Amino acid sequence: MQEIVNMERDSANEAFAQGDALADLRLLHLADSALPVGALAHSFGMESLTSCEMLTTRDLPDFLQAYLEEAGTMEATFCREAFHLPAATASESDFMARWVQLNDQLSARKPGRESRAGSASLGGNFLQVVLNLAELPLARTALDASKRSASLVHHSTAFGLACGLLGFAENRVVLVYLHQSVASLVSSCQRLLPLGQSEAARILWNLKPAIITAVDRSAALALDEACCFMPLLDWGAMEHPALGTRLFIS
Amino acid sequence: MASTAQKAGEASSELCAPLQLQASLTLDFARDEFAEHTVLAASRQEPPLKVVRAFNVQGGAALAHLHNVSGGLLGGDQLALKVNVGACAHVQLTTTGATRIYRPRRQALPATQSNEFTVNEGALLEYVPDAIIPYAGARFSQTTTIHLARGAGIFWWEILAPGREARGESFAYDSVEMKTNVIALNQPIASERARIEPARRSTQSFGRLGPYRTWATFCIARVGPSPAEWLALEHELREQAMPLTQHGETLWAVSALPAHGLMVRCVAVHGRHVLPGLQALWQTAKRRLYGQDAVPPRKVN
Repeated sequence: MQEIVNMERDSANEAFAQGDALADLRLLHLADSALPVGALAHSFGMESLTSCEMLTTRDLPDFLQAYLEEAGTMEATFCREAFHLPAATASESDFMARWVQLNDQLSARKPGRESRAGSASLGGNFLQVVLNLAELPLARTALDASKRSASLVHHSTAFGLACGLLGFAENRVVLVYLHQSVASLVSSCQRLLPLGQSEAARILWNLKPAIITAVDRSAALALDEACCFMPLLDWGAMEHPALGTRLFIS
Repeated sequence: MASTAQKAGEASSELCAPLQLQASLTLDFARDEFAEHTVLAASRQEPPLKVVRAFNVQGGAALAHLHNVSGGLLGGDQLALKVNVGACAHVQLTTTGATRIYRPRRQALPATQSNEFTVNEGALLEYVPDAIIPYAGARFSQTTTIHLARGAGIFWWEILAPGREARGESFAYDSVEMKTNVIALNQPIASERARIEPARRSTQSFGRLGPYRTWATFCIARVGPSPAEWLALEHELREQAMPLTQHGETLWAVSALPAHGLMVRCVAVHGRHVLPGLQALWQTAKRRLYGQDAVPPRKVN
């Protein structure tokens, strides 16, 4: 399996054989909110929290800090696991089984039906977009395996897998993934709360050390140890279907 | 040669050494086809864990009370509960009171409780314990694994109190870790990993509990009903939970799991609001899934 991974990475590197600068640009591209994966359509429960005024602009920095310590670290751990999956599996069938298992584990961690489906929508779209940009047979295999077993493909695992196959550096991948996740939440809040561009930019700017801490923590955690205790966000995600008027799908 | 004083010192330190207790309780329930009810077919009990007897209750179920005769978990205690619910058996398990997690000695390891439930074909387990109350300084880690076979079902809840609130203790514990896996036909359908360390990460953050103090999680699962049936039950329970939700006091949420079940979550300022809500939702879900009433376990009279 390692040989296939190396060949895939070599081929990706050949195609993109223009050094680290190009890799950085491509990684930024894949994390850009303009990538057509549908990130702007999901608030992942924040719409419910803001609609009942439980979450206000004033509380947002503290909320996002907690998000990074809990859900962010957990997603980062799954992102890393997916990054390493091709090299950690002995055969293609083993890879497919473990890929499906990894995503099923993450599905079980998400109690909110709409947030779970939202994460899966972004993950499936992300892999599809990447497959249109680069030749990555293992990513295609993963997508097909998930479809066959009616399993979901989550955004963090899709991001980790594809970026690992593209040969990007692990820590950068996880950093960029987490950064774009939080940026997407902040962007949601700009539509949900009285939050202007400057304040949104300042909040995201100030969260960068917390993003780095979460990424560092995730490097030391096994999947089973990655905890997430966010009862209020869970409440928001689980109760989103009950909202009468909605801007977001989740 | 050691002096008498030295020996006395050693003996005394042995007596004072933290006692780390390892104990397990294994219960095997089976359906008695002749008597048409569930019986406690076998058990292996190590103090302080104990089940005195199983009572026959409504619907041919067996009700057993889980006792911890030491009154709670002490630092370093390693307790294990293993329950097998045989095919078509129906079991209700509860505790005799709150699970108290005592303040440990400084050097003691966290108290641990490991629960493993196997619910075989067509069987039903209702696990409805009292709250877990971690005392000031407590360190506690609980791991629960539930395996569901074809047609098997569970009603399983946990309630975590912030501490001994009547004594003014709220989130004065060191750490509580709760790991739960519900696995249906070898597929994980619910997986929780909560680690709460109030001194390190504020529970009052709006991402965590905010102003709420008691947390409850309630898993309703049965292998068999279609996704559409679960969605319908989600809507029904949500409608029922809506009037129970009072912002700033108690929040309820219901959502379908990836397969075979629903998850209910509650956060409350006051723990007294949690149990009646859980029981009301349990009642509706049991009627819908089993056509039977949910009968809260009888405890004292």
